[in-house]
This record gives sequence, C-alpha cells and structure tokens, in this order.
Amino acid sequence: MSLPTLLEQYDYATGIWDEMCDRQQIREQYSKVIATLKQFNISDLQQKDRLAGELFMNQGITFTVYSEDAGIERIFPFDIIPRIITGQEWEHIEAGIKQRLKALNLFLKDIYNEQQILKDNIVPASLIASCPHYTREVFGIKVPHDVYVHISGIDLIRGEDGLFYVLEDNLRTPSGVSYMLENREVTKRIFPELLAASHVRRVSNYPLLLHEILLQMGPGQLSNPLVVLLTPGIYNSAYYEHTFLARQMGIPLVEGRDLVVNNHKVYMKTTNGLEQVHVIYRRIDDEFLDPLMFRPDSALGIPGLMSAYRMGNVAIVNAVGNGVADDKAVYAYVPAMIRYYLNEEPILPNVPTYEMSDRDARQYVFDNYTQMVIKRTNQSGGYGMVMGNKVGPEEWAKAKAAIEAEPRSFIAQPIIKLSTVPCFIDGTFQARHVDLRPYALCGPQGVQIVPGGLTRVALRKDSLIVNSSQGGGSKDTWVID
Amino acid sequence: MLSRIADSLFWLARYMERAEGLLRVTATHNLLSLDKDVNGPLTWRPVLETFTSAGEEEINTIEGNTGAALKKLLTDTANNNSLKCIIGKARENARGIQDYITKEVWEEVNSFYHLINQPALDNRLSNYEAADILDIFTRHSVLYTGITDITMARGIGWGFMNLGKYIERCLETIVLTDKQYARNQYKVDEIKDIMQWRHLLMSLSGYELHLKTYRSYQYTHDVLHQVLFNEDFPHSVIYSLGRIDRHLQDVTKGHISEENASLIRNFGRLYSKVKHLEIDDLNNQTLKPFLEDLRHDLLHFTNLLTQKFFSYA
Repeated sequence: MSLPTLLEQYDYATGIWDEMCDRQQIREQYSKVIATLKQFNISDLQQKDRLAGELFMNQGITFTVYSEDAGIERIFPFDIIPRIITGQEWEHIEAGIKQRLKALNLFLKDIYNEQQILKDNIVPASLIASCPHYTREVFGIKVPHDVYVHISGIDLIRGEDGLFYVLEDNLRTPSGVSYMLENREVTKRIFPELLAASHVRRVSNYPLLLHEILLQMGPGQLSNPLVVLLTPGIYNSAYYEHTFLARQMGIPLVEGRDLVVNNHKVYMKTTNGLEQVHVIYRRIDDEFLDPLMFRPDSALGIPGLMSAYRMGNVAIVNAVGNGVADDKAVYAYVPAMIRYYLNEEPILPNVPTYEMSDRDARQYVFDNYTQMVIKRTNQSGGYGMVMGNKVGPEEWAKAKAAIEAEPRSFIAQPIIKLSTVPCFIDGTFQARHVDLRPYALCGPQGVQIVPGGLTRVALRKDSLIVNSSQGGGSKDTWVID
Repeated sequence: MLSRIADSLFWLARYMERAEGLLRVTATHNLLSLDKDVNGPLTWRPVLETFTSAGEEEINTIEGNTGAALKKLLTDTANNNSLKCIIGKARENARGIQDYITKEVWEEVNSFYHLINQPALDNRLSNYEAADILDIFTRHSVLYTGITDITMARGIGWGFMNLGKYIERCLETIVLTDKQYARNQYKVDEIKDIMQWRHLLMSLSGYELHLKTYRSYQYTHDVLHQVLFNEDFPHSVIYSLGRIDRHLQDVTKGHISEENASLIRNFGRLYSKVKHLEIDDLNNQTLKPFLEDLRHDLLHFTNLLTQKFFSYA
C-alpha cells in the first residue's frame, strides 16, 4: 500500500482534538511534513524506525527489565512522526507556564516563611498540615535568590476544545529532558531534509541554560563555584539522563558516597583529598537526601547535608520541600495562588479537580464515577490511578472503600480525552493520545523555557495513560514558525 | 578527580585489557588446536587453568571439546572470568563514569556488551563460526583501544586508565610465561622447537617480532628475553613497567605527600628488580621464584595504589 493511501486511511475519533487533522483537512502546520512523508514508501519509514531504535540502543538510552537471572535492555519507545506546535500556540503556553511558576515560587517562599496565604485563608491550613510533602525541617531556611523551583516539568494536555490545560505540576525532580534532546538528535538523523526545511525552533541549548542557573546559585563571592549532579546511581531508571546532563554541562556526576559533610560544609572525595562543593543539582528525592534528617535507612544520601543547607553553605537544586506545591490536592488551588500573589487571571486553566476530603464533592464523584479519574495525591508515574470508565463494580467498590478510609489522599478529575496525533505503528498511521511536558528553568533573571518539550504518547490503542511505566513512548516535539 | 571515578577508570581499563588478553589467547589456541601438536592433540587444559576457576573434573570433561571450552571461556556466566562477565563488569564501570569518559568510548563498550549478550551466540560458537566470532570480538577490543586513545582527554584520569591497563597486561604476561615455562619444568637452557613457543608468542602478539629479532635458535632463552626484557615489545614486562612508571608520575605530579613518595619508592624497587637484572641470572632454579616474586610484588603495589587513591566508600 502506498503512503498517500495510508495517510487517507488515517482514522481519528470525532469529539477528540486531533493535532494533524481537522474535519478531514490536514492542519497547515502539518502540511509540509505530510507532503514530505508522501515521497517515502512504507519500507523507507520502517527502515527509519529501525534506525532510530538502533541509535537509542547503541547509546545506552535503555532501561532494564529483569527476568530470571538475565536483565534484558529495552529502549523507551520512540515514534518517528514529530508532534508539531505552532509558534502562536507556543507563545500562549510559554506565557501560561511562566505565570504559573512565578506564583508557585512565591507560594513556596511564603509557605516556608510567613505563611500569609494560610492566614488570608486562600489555601486551607488543614490541607497543608495534612500534606505528606510539607517539610517542617526546611521551615525558615533562606534559599539563594528566593528560587525554589529551578527546574520544572509542567504536564499539559489538550482537551476536545483544543485548549491546553495544566494536568499536573512536577516541581521536585522532573525527568525526561534528555529524551526531549535525544529525540531531536535522532530526528536529525532520520529526517534531515524535513527538519531543515521546517524552521523548527532549537532546543539544544537547554543544558547550557541549566548550567548558567546552577552557577548563579553558588555563593556570590566565588567566581567559579563547584557544581555537581547528585545521582542515586546506575540502577536508577533515569541514570542515563543524569550522565547525559552531567556530560552536557561538564560537571561531575557524584553519588552520595562521593560526598561528605564536615563542619557544615559539603566536600567531594577526590584522589587528592577533599574539595568543597557549592551547588548540588540533586536527582534524589527529599526523603533520601540526609539520613540524619529524613529516612535513616537511606544509603543514597549524605549525613549532615541538611545542616550545611541550613547554614547556607551549599545550594540544593531544586529546593527541599517543593513537594508541597505539586501535591495533587494543592494543585486545585494554583489558580487561586496566581490571583493572590500576582493579581492576574490564570492563562492556562486547570483541569477541574474534586477534593475527596470535601463531603459534597465526594458524593458528586461517587454518583458520576464513570466519567471520573481518581488519583492518589502523593503518587506519580501513572500509579494509583483509577479510570472510572474502565473499572468493574468490584474494583470500584474497593477503590471507594479506600477513598472513604483516607479521603485526603485522593482527588478526582473528569476524564479528559487527550488530543491525538498520528503514530507510525505496524506499518500504518494510527491516532494515539499525547500530552506535553515543557521544561522550564527558573533563575534569578526569571523563567526560561526551551521551545517544545517532551511529547509523551500512549502507544496502546485508546489508552489515555502516557507514562513510560505504563506502555508510553515519546515523540520529537517541534515548535515551528 | 573523584576517587570513585578514578577507581572505575582503573577497572574499566583493567577489564578491557583482560578481555583483550583472553581473546588473543583463545583465538590463538583455537587456531593452533586444529593442528596436531608434537605431544599429541592440543587440549584446552592450560587455557582453562589460566582463565577459569573450573575444577579438575570439569576440565577433564571439556578439555578436548572446543565448543564446550569456548563456551566456558567466553559466554558462561557461572565463570566469573568469562568474556561475558568481564565485559559486563567493564560496562558497569563505564556506566558509572559515563559523564567522564567520552561518548565514543561508552558507545563502544556498550555495543561490545550487547554483542556478547546476543542469545544466539552459544550455538554459533559450537560450530565452524567460532573463529569468525573471535575475530569480531578481537576487532571490538582493538577498536576500544583505538577509540580510547583518540578521544579520551589526557591528564590524571588517563593516568589511572593506563595504570589499570598496564598492570593487567604485565600480570598477564607473567602468568602466561610462567604457564608456558612450567610445562617445560623451567628449563631455560634446553633448546626446543619454535613451534612450542609459537603459542605464547602469538597469544602476546609477538611472534612476528620474534622472527624478525631473534635468530639464534636458542628459543627458550630468546623467548624469555623477549617477554621480559625487550623494550620494543609492547607486551613485555619491562615495557609495561615502564608505562606504569610514567603514569604513576602523572597521577602523583604536583601533590607532594609522604604517602605518594612511599608509593613511588615501592614501585621503584619493583621496577629495578627487572631493569637491572641480567638475563643470564635466570636459570633452571631462579626463574620460577623470580616470576612468583614479580607477580607478588606487582599485586602488592596495586594494593597500595588502591588504598592511596580509591578509598571513598
């Protein structure tokens, strides 16, 4: 079958926003890509698909599946057809994320210092008090330049109406940015002419921007502070990303056992003795950072790190305690924060969210559960989710009992049909659901976002769950002018 | 440089050098075993004894079976020193220092790893493809060496890599030499057929050099000279020690401490034992203890080096 015929057979559901097609018409931003694709035949595309797989495999961009005694290495699935966003759409997204991050940063500063927002009753104090990620240990700690969220990955989805909504804020240690960068490198190999002709905005300067921000977090009197990237080690699923970023920024990649705290200062153990560390870009969760302060069984952390942090002798990026701002129940209050701190209307809307601790909302959700998705407030990665339209009565009864037992741990949202894009699967073009995670960097000079981000795609037919742990893959994301 | 990184660089280089040695010996043995030896058919016993921890019983069963021996040496994961395990460990070390080594080095180690983990490999080894596969592996090993040389930055990390590499190489030469002379009861003065020595020389890729350099027909003596004292032979003990000396200076440069000075003195003693030895001092009685002492001293020096630079956990 020829490619033009295949493209004509591209089938997308009505009532869902398709990124490529609108009422049987190809949207303008996709026209050039489609015209180019038509010059290939199916075996060309299959060849490109294979080549992309090999490129990922040989670079070691893999995760390990353990079965019996042998670990099998798999790549994260990559779909070769790019996802395209217009420059105009991007301006809107960018403005929305900048606004949101500004408010979230102010919120974190406020919540760990004066707590004005609680006193003014904008966010209920009980919500914060019951949040497992609210970290009393960092109360009152001054962070450099009042920046808490240096690196964020805010997940956006596009609803039936074509509008972008914020699905969740990832303000702790969001991962995936290396895929955004590597996906582009792979596209350069498989569609070089197409990429060059499409005027795609560049993403490759992300590591340099990040490095710049990390340097600025060092003590002001030092011209060249020592910045390190702290990783849990080679068994972490995002380890490739840690090495990638460390290499791209030219900073040492360290593990907890490479560092030691002495007299409230952090040092790195080198072949010639100890060397002081000033900035730590950590990819370890808060609770593992310091066994003296948090989990005593943590072998990944550095004993005494928090004391050095409190003394201001080391900067930790992202700040400790950010989890309180990306809690799924606190999420519902972000629009209110934007109004409170910035006196502006939110540019990017939230998805309507029902707190299960609210009795009326809970009843409403129970009555309409088939249209709802239930999420745990403290989990990510697509775990602990109940899709109301997919569960059987027994499963629902179990979920309901769990919600009633600890309502604060759950929220509900109406199921939003994510937008679809064409994917090249089994030699045909098929519509699959996607989200978008742009990576924003926040430094003393404000927020910078590289144009694009990571498009995650649910490769299983009709699935709305894009997480890589649940059968998701990714696509290169183009912002074109 | 982080101690952990120095440690991993050292071991990455050691494992890759070990893989190279294992491959050369195995490939040589595989080819030579096709010819009939003067003492009957060549068995895999000496190779298995050197490179595996297989017991007497197991060696008895597989020494005459090329397919089984190759499997034991190359792909058996129960054998800690099989090529598969060595490359696995090399990759594990490389993985932990991906930010330090170049992308090219990582990709080579990684693709070598994936190559040896192909499920179909065992079957291919037991038939006539074995020589081809050994060739491919050897080429990867050489490629690694070349890529490392071309892309890695010089400096202290390079020093640690080379320390690992040449310590491993030196140990390998000592062990293989010992094995070969033991078969001959360490009789240095006995004139033997060159064919007896071809195995050792080819395993150390020194056969051609031997033919070009030595023409006295005192093979036992000449081979010993080549593997111990020939400065132009990159697998000789003296060559490896010379490199260790140089790289030890690199990693201690600019850091004066009693610990460093002691380490340098320790190595100096070991180095002069070889440098200032007359080959005629090695005879039927002294050769065995000399090789044993040398090996022991080198291992002791390695321990000191490890304590000095790699203490971090």
